[in-house]
Amino acid sequence: MKKFIRIIIIILYLIIIFVLANKLLSPKYMTDLVEGSMIAEYYDEIKNHEVIFIGDCEVYANFSPMVMYEQEGITSYVRGTSQQLIWQSYGILQETLKYEIPKVVVFNVNSLRYSEPVSEAYNRLTLDKMKWSKEKIDIINASMTKDENFMSYVFLIIRYHSRFSKLTSEDFEYLFKEKKNTFNGFLINKNIKPVGSLPTKKRLPDYNFSEKCIGYLDKITKLCKDNGIKLVLIKAPSLYPYWYDEYNEQIVNYAKENNLDFYNLKDVADEIGIDYQKDTYDAGLHLNLTGATKLSIYFSKLLKEKYSLTDFRQNKEVNRIYQEKLISYKSAIS
Amino acid sequence: MKKVLIIIVIIAVVIIGGVEIGVTMQKSKTSSQNAKQEEKVEENIDEGFIFNDGNIKLVPGSVFSKETLGLGDEKNYSEIASCAFEGLDKTYTYENYEITTFPDGDQDKIYTIYLLNDQVQTAEGLKITDEKDKMISTYGEDYKTQGNQYTYTKGKTNLEIIVENDVVTSIQYSYVTE
Repeated sequence: MKKFIRIIIIILYLIIIFVLANKLLSPKYMTDLVEGSMIAEYYDEIKNHEVIFIGDCEVYANFSPMVMYEQEGITSYVRGTSQQLIWQSYGILQETLKYEIPKVVVFNVNSLRYSEPVSEAYNRLTLDKMKWSKEKIDIINASMTKDENFMSYVFLIIRYHSRFSKLTSEDFEYLFKEKKNTFNGFLINKNIKPVGSLPTKKRLPDYNFSEKCIGYLDKITKLCKDNGIKLVLIKAPSLYPYWYDEYNEQIVNYAKENNLDFYNLKDVADEIGIDYQKDTYDAGLHLNLTGATKLSIYFSKLLKEKYSLTDFRQNKEVNRIYQEKLISYKSAIS
Repeated sequence: MKKVLIIIVIIAVVIIGGVEIGVTMQKSKTSSQNAKQEEKVEENIDEGFIFNDGNIKLVPGSVFSKETLGLGDEKNYSEIASCAFEGLDKTYTYENYEITTFPDGDQDKIYTIYLLNDQVQTAEGLKITDEKDKMISTYGEDYKTQGNQYTYTKGKTNLEIIVENDVVTSIQYSYVTE
């Protein structure tokens, strides 16, 4: 009996060592590559959002829920991640609906141009910290590139064992704790890099979105419809990669056929007041803090008018939470 | 209990040490394979498609240096960052072609060469505005298609030609990265 207990203790200790090693060697995404931490920040939030954004970097860099609350009292959350592909957006939306049913889902259509998994590095930023669920399994299976394997998402040590010799103080500091890097999914960037010259707009072999991408857009549309959610399609303002007229036309037609609203916010950049000499941190790909603030003011007004959202500034309990968030936000942007 | 703890410590050391030894062995194996592969690529780099406008010879996948290649000042220059990672794709636009580079360690290597007009032609003599028949007679029928694009592969390079209404409208050399 004693021997049996000893064996059990040894096995337990080994499991603990394995779990600890797995945790230690996995990237923490707390001070470096913070984009990898964004997916998990949502889980700790109070789920009372009337608007959920899904999509790639063009949502988490460009829309500030704090500004939208301050301006119009809208509660919103950005569930964007770097290079979020459309099948990932679908899975993330499915997961979100398990927690809450928003009135409006805003989907940035930029990712429709990618019909195949792009890179493992971006997959990792979206998936490493995502909670386990059927949706996560589906996303992994749909997103893996040629050399990836499923088990490396289950046991991160398989993928990251070589970090053993590259551990930094971040790995120890954030071994058992985490910190928030965004404000309701908005990642602040205050840098300024004006738009200079851009590469030539190359001809493409095929401007049509793939059946696979349209299939996932159909799924997102149906999911929203089934849950009584208004789906709003947008193209965030960015000058590069080029958003071709042919792309735009397909989205305009899709929106018409499916009775959806589509806003190409790139076309109203002047009206919004975006100055690409001051309002971008990477020469026109993403907006910086000043650009995102302008866009969020414009878009929150549009959302409020079109979709009769609640002004939560009148709700004592919600307002108390958001006022606290606003204090931290203002301190972070000052 | 003391005995059990000692056994556990030994097993833990063996596991972590084993992983590390395994990783190191894997690394040295991989790095020697990579070195061999890189050597091979360097040797074979001239076996791919090469852009040659008479004065300048550009090889996709080779190190980009304006001075060494004898390129003058570009008309336009742009840097494109990625969403989250460091490193920039750089684009140098000249009168008749545009070169995009990618970072590889401390060096920039040529990723694409995009022809901008019919003032230049490929080393084999095809230019924008030529007819599709000329493309076939020049490069043959061993191509892959995607939409309007015909891709010929040679070594670690692709020659991507877009044909619209039987006329060549775009020519690009690219480096095959995997």
